[in-house]
Amino acid sequence: MKEIITVQALEKIYKMGKVSVPALKGIDVTINKGEFVAIMGPSGSGKSTLMHILGCLDTATNGIYSLNYHKVSEMKKHKLAMIRNKQIGFVFQTFNLLPHLNIQKNVELPLMYAGFSAKQRSQKAKKVLAEVGLGDRLRHKPSELSGGQRQRVAIARAIVNEPSIILADEPTGNLDTNSGNDILSIFTELHAKGHTIIMVTHDPVVAKKANRIIKIVDGMITNGNLT
Amino acid sequence: MAISLKENISIGLSDFWSRKVRGFVTVLGIVLGTMSVIVVLSLMNGINQQTIQWMMERGGLSKITVRRDWSFDNPNNEPRYFTWKEINLIRSLVPEAEYFNPQLREWVRYSYQDKDYLSSIYGVVPDFTQIEEWDVEEGRFISAFDIDQANDVVVIGTEIKQELLGNKDAIGELITVHNRRLRIIGIMKHRFMKSNDAFRGENALSYLNRRAFIPLSTMIKKGTGEDEITSFTVKAKDADSAPALGNKLEDIILNLRHGEPVFSVETAKENAEQIAKNQKNFQVIFFVVSIISLLVGGIVIANIMLASIQERTREIGIRIAVGARRMDIFFQFLAQTIIITAIGGMFGILTGLSILTFISNYIGIELIASISVIMIALAVSVGVGFVAGIIPAVTASKLNPVEALRYE
Ligand SMILES: Nc1ncnc2c1ncn2[C@@H]1O[C@H](COP(=O)(O)OP(=O)(O)OP(=O)(O)O)[C@@H](O)[C@H]1O
Ligand SMILES: [Mg+2]
Repeated sequence: MKEIITVQALEKIYKMGKVSVPALKGIDVTINKGEFVAIMGPSGSGKSTLMHILGCLDTATNGIYSLNYHKVSEMKKHKLAMIRNKQIGFVFQTFNLLPHLNIQKNVELPLMYAGFSAKQRSQKAKKVLAEVGLGDRLRHKPSELSGGQRQRVAIARAIVNEPSIILADEPTGNLDTNSGNDILSIFTELHAKGHTIIMVTHDPVVAKKANRIIKIVDGMITNGNLT
Repeated sequence: MAISLKENISIGLSDFWSRKVRGFVTVLGIVLGTMSVIVVLSLMNGINQQTIQWMMERGGLSKITVRRDWSFDNPNNEPRYFTWKEINLIRSLVPEAEYFNPQLREWVRYSYQDKDYLSSIYGVVPDFTQIEEWDVEEGRFISAFDIDQANDVVVIGTEIKQELLGNKDAIGELITVHNRRLRIIGIMKHRFMKSNDAFRGENALSYLNRRAFIPLSTMIKKGTGEDEITSFTVKAKDADSAPALGNKLEDIILNLRHGEPVFSVETAKENAEQIAKNQKNFQVIFFVVSIISLLVGGIVIANIMLASIQERTREIGIRIAVGARRMDIFFQFLAQTIIITAIGGMFGILTGLSILTFISNYIGIELIASISVIMIALAVSVGVGFVAGIIPAVTASKLNPVEALRYE
């Protein structure tokens, strides 16, 4: 299979004044196109840190990160913005929708920064919102929706620009079991359609839906090759 | 994949709209600032133009007026008038003066048949029409022959004519002043100042229509009976030579009155220059004041924008996460500040214009905010937005997305 992400000797050290906090201590991992990978590990082990680096929201202190054979770890900031916009769809635990925009506008946001025309934006946004079952709520504000519905909007926003990977950091962490299951089934559907998904979770049941589980403990992978 | 100006403006407008109340409060300083720019600049322009136009209509910038100066208390009792002889002497000393009109005024009762009219009458010479740039509409003005013979003739203003004779043909009719019958030989042109319809209820030039003119010699010999000419007006060759001629006249008159300033000499040109100078001073003061108020307004806006950026940290994180570049964030907030101040500026212009209309109706002077004044006001408000917006926009664009997303 074609590899989409390769990470070699990735380190992240947070500097807080004179104290250095090593959050990632040499991560090596390869993720193939079309994989659904779950990342697990105790709190504070560095899962979110890794996700932020993979999502180009943060940069590693040392090591190499390649996405689609492009060395992201050597890219300039404006290039990273383009990667975030075109290659990555990020789903957060806390949804992170803009409260004063309706959900269609929220979903259009990445398309706007990608330079699509208003008409194209509206078409694409409506299409993905219909796919996540919110085609009839376009004008609603996030505050008028349930948590599960909000997370579906966030997923629609993540996939609207047809990214090469979807990164989800505890996407069900703020949801009740039923809504969580809904969200999970959307991810499995996306995976079935060929999307590459990396998801952080604490829930072993959730993790079972994945092809592969990566365990991180104290900034290191303990089981890179488990399937 | 830069995000376009149009996008930024639409983000800015919708942000403004979703925070209306705060937007207006933020912008109050700018509203007041641009409003005062509009009102004060236009008011100044209007009044100055009015004054200068009035001066032009009253004989232009080459006119010099000599009249009694009542502010001087005249301890030595120098005569507060010129004799006919003195007038002729003065005239002979200023051959460079193009026109010279000594005059005398009296308050009289005009009678015609059963009608009476109270107004002033002026004893003048033929040069009057040249100096005042005002001639007859009908008939003729006083001639040198009339002066010579002290003829009993009169030239009347339109309002006197209307009051006494109505629509009747007036030329050749006799009106009575001081039991003396005067033959009407001419009717002056009607005076009316455009761009001014009601200065305290009346046109700024219409008082002239209530005047009548007779030969100065007739007035002295048969009217007052006294050889006391109280004022005269002179027209220099052109506006540039007027101040020098004015100074010369002042010297001559001072000599005649043993150095006592019984008379004042006013040149229209110097008045106009004084007006222009006052206008400049006023403009400088006004400029400084408005700069200070707009500066304060700008600082207030910069602060509010900084606060709003802190409040919107998470939004900025989200935008960066979905692909906004630093430039996009920078321009989003810069554009927003400019939009806020421009909206404020437009409100300021609108309120300024309506205040101008109100003042204009009240004082009866046409006040029009010129396009350039409006443009200045708008440019100033946009400029304030630009300056005030830069620091908040830079701050926003430098946020770390991971921390921004964690911000509560
Ligand atoms: N901005 C930061 N500055 C300093 N230390 C940080 C920062 N962000 C994270 N850390 C530290 O890095 C380590 C890894 O944090 P991270 O958020 O990646 O953990 P996590 O595995 O996502 O935990 P959780 O399951 O609780 O979300 C922690 O010790 C954390 O305190
Ligand atoms: Mg985490």
